[in-house]
Amino acid sequence: MWSLAPQAKVSRVANHASGSIYELGYQRYVGARLGRRHAVWALYTQSLRSVFGIGRSGWAKAAAFGLLVIALLPAVVQLSIAAIVPANVDVVRPEDYYAQIEPLLAIFCAVIAPELMGRDQRTKTLSLYFSRALRREDYAIAKYAAMVTAMLAMTLLPQLLMFAGNMSAAPDVFRYLADNWQDLPAIVGSALLLSSLVAGAGLAIACQTSSRTYSTVAIAAAFLLTTGIATAIFEAAGPSAGKYALLLSPFHVARGFTIWIFGSIPTSDNRQLMEANIRGSIYTLDAIAFAVICLLVVIRRYWRISV
Amino acid sequence: MDVAPRAKRTSAPAPSMSGSAPFIVSRGLTKRYGSVTALDALNLELAPGVIGLVGANGAGKSTFIKLLLGLLEPTSGSAQVMGLDVARDGPTLRQFVGYMPEHDCLPPDATGTEFVAHMAQISGLPRAAARERTAEILRHVGLFEARYRQINGYSTGMKQRVKLAQALVHDPRLVLLDEPTNGLDPQGRDEMLTMIRRIGTEFGVAVILSSHLLSEIERVCDHLVEIENGRVARSAPMAELTATTSDLVVEVEGDSAALADYLRKRGATAEPRGRYLLVQHTNDDVFDWIRDGVVEHGMGLIRLEQSHRRLEELFDVEPGAAGEGVPRG
Repeated sequence: MWSLAPQAKVSRVANHASGSIYELGYQRYVGARLGRRHAVWALYTQSLRSVFGIGRSGWAKAAAFGLLVIALLPAVVQLSIAAIVPANVDVVRPEDYYAQIEPLLAIFCAVIAPELMGRDQRTKTLSLYFSRALRREDYAIAKYAAMVTAMLAMTLLPQLLMFAGNMSAAPDVFRYLADNWQDLPAIVGSALLLSSLVAGAGLAIACQTSSRTYSTVAIAAAFLLTTGIATAIFEAAGPSAGKYALLLSPFHVARGFTIWIFGSIPTSDNRQLMEANIRGSIYTLDAIAFAVICLLVVIRRYWRISV
Repeated sequence: MDVAPRAKRTSAPAPSMSGSAPFIVSRGLTKRYGSVTALDALNLELAPGVIGLVGANGAGKSTFIKLLLGLLEPTSGSAQVMGLDVARDGPTLRQFVGYMPEHDCLPPDATGTEFVAHMAQISGLPRAAARERTAEILRHVGLFEARYRQINGYSTGMKQRVKLAQALVHDPRLVLLDEPTNGLDPQGRDEMLTMIRRIGTEFGVAVILSSHLLSEIERVCDHLVEIENGRVARSAPMAELTATTSDLVVEVEGDSAALADYLRKRGATAEPRGRYLLVQHTNDDVFDWIRDGVVEHGMGLIRLEQSHRRLEELFDVEPGAAGEGVPRG
């Protein structure tokens, strides 16, 4: 007779054949089995740790942390100036921050997405995951969440650092908070949206192949090409006919959304966005649709992959 | 005030937590790849034990295992393990199932401990329990000393042990082992088979072992399922298949041909089989004849026993593959 209930039966048959004097016999596991949600959580945390090389050698940490430090540089510059100059100087406004680190975000994505998607395909560990307490779509969702979280370190962290720094440098902290608190939801919203877009694009490409080299190149090319193609169509067709071409480019969409959610309007720094004058809600819908489609592409890939 | 201990969450399924339903049952289980039928309407009912799955390469052994794990979706038909449907109740069922694939499946840059503990968590074990179980199971498979080393530094035998450990770490009720002795040297193979037998008996974990080597199946299994061209060619308890025969095995020190001649003169049938003779047990006088023959020729009698049928004799064994017979298919 068989049973799935925890069994207290403990076997204590000493096995002399193994020659080990520590042999205690096999112990049944009688504790909790936490199921699917726990499995997804464990996969999420392990994936996130692997991105930053936590629990690995120094070299594994180097890439992600190196890029993170560079991404924080504009914030550090802003804070240094804010600390020295008593007046409220905005060297970098929060809504312009991402524009300065876009290439870094693309590189970060091109480096880590292939690791998150390709490694288990390369080592054929997928069959071990899919024969455990999760479904294939759970695997895709856990990896996607880990990727978005990793991207948030690159987007949200510098913004929060800058906000906290400006606040502490202000002559009156409470006054600063009262004047600028609306920036906080805008910071979180824009960081989430940008992170989901970049993560989605990266994973949708990276999941297609187990080769790290191919996906790194493909992701970098995708960011360059979408930006380039959107710009080219826009310039060729003109602002009224070509403005929706900008919606093809994740970075254009993220910029448009960010400027809008901070309650600002595009300046000459973002001439195309200024001329296109697309409504914020369109950017929002476009970004959400893009991120969801990318997630579905990843899920579909894992549904179909044979292990 | 007394504080009640926190209730432990258990995601064990409510329906049929234990049962009188068959341990494994498949009904019309079919898997086709395009026009190729890998598994053809497989009907099986199996009780827990050490179950051997034999068949030539490509006969459908791996397909059957993958269907039981939900790694493949059946084209038609269904299968239940411990009362749970393999396709519908996958995550719940797989908390209680372990799988050791035939192919390599280990990340080279993780340590044995790290990897097995992670896999335990993916099977639903809490973090602390996963670590505890990992240490214990790595000790059982003989990797305790090497557990903090990276997997890429492991030998083939050690990698097979990690693969076995990750299949057992969450204390499954059933473990599916797909060609676990592949690539092992004779000693490694021997140790692996001993371990598998222990899993089935001492650990109390049901085992499905696929192998194309009959000698392995014969050594560790209680039940044999032969799959041939996607169909069940045979499913029977091992004891039935290897039942005693009416032959006697006689092994002597000295010239066995002379003894054979002697026995034939007395009216017995004696056939030489390598170092020993196979003598038909037609009547009890045969025992006296053997005794007399041995005494007359001044031989030493080493062995006299009833012969058991070898599994290989049931199959058409390819010539020259003694002890490692491959069933036709």
